[in-house]
Amino acid sequence: MKITFPHMGNIYIAAKALFDGLGVDYVIPPQNNKEVLNIGTRYSPEEICLPFKIMIGNYIQAIEQGADTVLLTGSCGPCRFGEYCELQMNLMKELGYNLNFIVLDMPKDIGIKELFKRLGKVTVTSNKSMYGKTKALKDALTVANLIDEVEAKAHYLAGYERNKGQCKRILNDCKKEAMNCSNPEEMISSLRKYKDKLKYIPVDINKNPLKIAIIGEIYTVIEPFSNFFIEDKLMDYGVSSKREMTPTWWVKNMALSPLKLNSLKIKQSSKDYLSLAIGGHARECVGEAVLAQEGGFDGAIQIFPMGCMPEIVSKSILPTISKDKDFPIMSLVVDDMTGEAGYITRVEAFIDLLERRRNNVLLGS
Amino acid sequence: MYYLGVDVGSVSTDLVLIDESSNVVEKIYLRTKGNPIKAIQEGFNILRNEYEDYEITAAGATGSGRMIASTIIGADAVKNEITAHATAALEIDNDVRTIIEIGGQDSKIIIINNGVVCDFAMNTVCAAGTGSFLDRQAERLEIPIEEFGDYALRANTSVRIAGRCAVFAESDMIHKQQMGYNHSEIIRGLCDALVRNYLNNIGKGKTIIPKILFQGGVAANKGIKKAFENQLGFEVFVPENHSMMGAIGAAIIAKERVKKTGETNFRGLDLAKSSIVTKSFECEGCPNQCEVVKIYENNNVMGYFGDRCTKWSNRTRENSKLA
Repeated sequence: MKITFPHMGNIYIAAKALFDGLGVDYVIPPQNNKEVLNIGTRYSPEEICLPFKIMIGNYIQAIEQGADTVLLTGSCGPCRFGEYCELQMNLMKELGYNLNFIVLDMPKDIGIKELFKRLGKVTVTSNKSMYGKTKALKDALTVANLIDEVEAKAHYLAGYERNKGQCKRILNDCKKEAMNCSNPEEMISSLRKYKDKLKYIPVDINKNPLKIAIIGEIYTVIEPFSNFFIEDKLMDYGVSSKREMTPTWWVKNMALSPLKLNSLKIKQSSKDYLSLAIGGHARECVGEAVLAQEGGFDGAIQIFPMGCMPEIVSKSILPTISKDKDFPIMSLVVDDMTGEAGYITRVEAFIDLLERRRNNVLLGS
Repeated sequence: MYYLGVDVGSVSTDLVLIDESSNVVEKIYLRTKGNPIKAIQEGFNILRNEYEDYEITAAGATGSGRMIASTIIGADAVKNEITAHATAALEIDNDVRTIIEIGGQDSKIIIINNGVVCDFAMNTVCAAGTGSFLDRQAERLEIPIEEFGDYALRANTSVRIAGRCAVFAESDMIHKQQMGYNHSEIIRGLCDALVRNYLNNIGKGKTIIPKILFQGGVAANKGIKKAFENQLGFEVFVPENHSMMGAIGAAIIAKERVKKTGETNFRGLDLAKSSIVTKSFECEGCPNQCEVVKIYENNNVMGYFGDRCTKWSNRTRENSKLA
């Protein structure tokens, strides 16, 4: 058995730690690029959302490297993601690939017994003891946590750094070095080293850079390829950015949701505008917009794939928030046809808008 | 002291020189024809006859080809079209609240509040209702595009044409021709359809408040201006240099930038004589597979762009520092 999984931001780093720790054979699909998207678009339904297409590309490239099992999270939630696993299973079968799918889902949807059965499938070739397996999972979660922290810190400090490009360089080096580690312990200490490194970079605390919150559909905000590396661009422009949605957030949210203790702050903030979970992360998107405004951000950028139902709902709510709170929000829709030039123009113009607005506010007062 | 603005668009490349008080002293309109470098060189050739390098103290670039333009001319400021257009519009009229801009391949709406851009929108997936579409239809009807507007004004009634999609608009237009409507009625219908499409797509959800400025190449078309006025119920103003607003904005931004930094990166008008060649290659440094463009001037590397990690484009910056 050779396990693979679709890309989504930095998940591949945590996955490497997990499978290394378990001693399970695995394939990390090549990083997302045009080639992946081309393959995915060729075989996916035309109207399906962008993440689906990229994932199909990941599977096919992983199969070429010998993968025969896909590990995927499911969701019985009211958004198309809930049907991804079924659709993808059928699609891959039709294409003539003999691929096993292991779909992890919430205990309330599939039952705790079934979840453990499925988890057991992942570790079936692992010769580690129960303790070893638990430790591998714990280490993987630590890795996920650390890389998310390093990334968030780098994105935020990019606005304050004295040596332009330092944060971006550290972040890239950090990812590269983590992937060269041969076991989870080594990876954790490498990540800790970079986390400390970010603590000591020279910053200008008087700088007051623009601060932008990245909100929207979880896959397209987390996976940089799907949003044309917007966070890297913001770092280049010297803008501090923050994104609430991370793989760690997702895990925490999932773990706490049976107790209804998940994302309390977000739920509270979205109450005035969208009080129900309508699927996907629409409520989170609305809540994050409100929180960003309260947190002193200059603006927010919403990103979602074309045809994403939950985010279309939040997109139509965001202008009301924008008006009520005098808080600029721009929505960007991405799909495989999106032209990069127009996209970048919009991001640049939005930054100019925020910059000039701020100057004007200062002059006006 | 002049300031140069270059706007490399999909259809046209515009160059302007403005003076200290932002008056346009020279404007050059060229067709890009898919070769922005050649268009810029052509423009520089014209400028070279009348101006010396030392007279130009700042250069700015905008438009969809702003990256390539900035690399080869050595721009002090590189700005997106939206900011450039807004800057130029605010320079000529401080009271402007709405800017309608229709160019060759894209159209935009910019909303201004208290002299600052507060909202904007651009067409995303569809080019129906832009300059190229009108160009094509003018060609079909064998009417010079410059006279298009006059034809529209001559019509008493407007023929309703489906303007949602450029392809269907064309078939609908052919159908109306075959029904026997005359040219001017069809053209007016086309103008109405274009404006309807603009207001329904780009203008959706935006509150359009006067004073309204209409700029971009299409603003030359009186028929469209009239159609906007009819559908909005406000007067629409077309500035004198409506097709050059992007370049003017770039020049103004460059002027401000150089005043701050005190020096210019402008490479000079002799660029017109150099032989500029571009080569592109796929970077193999990582799986991103960036298509990097390398520009040579007389066999010397001038710069790179197109990489995400700035591994190549940083070399451009280092080179220019050394020079």
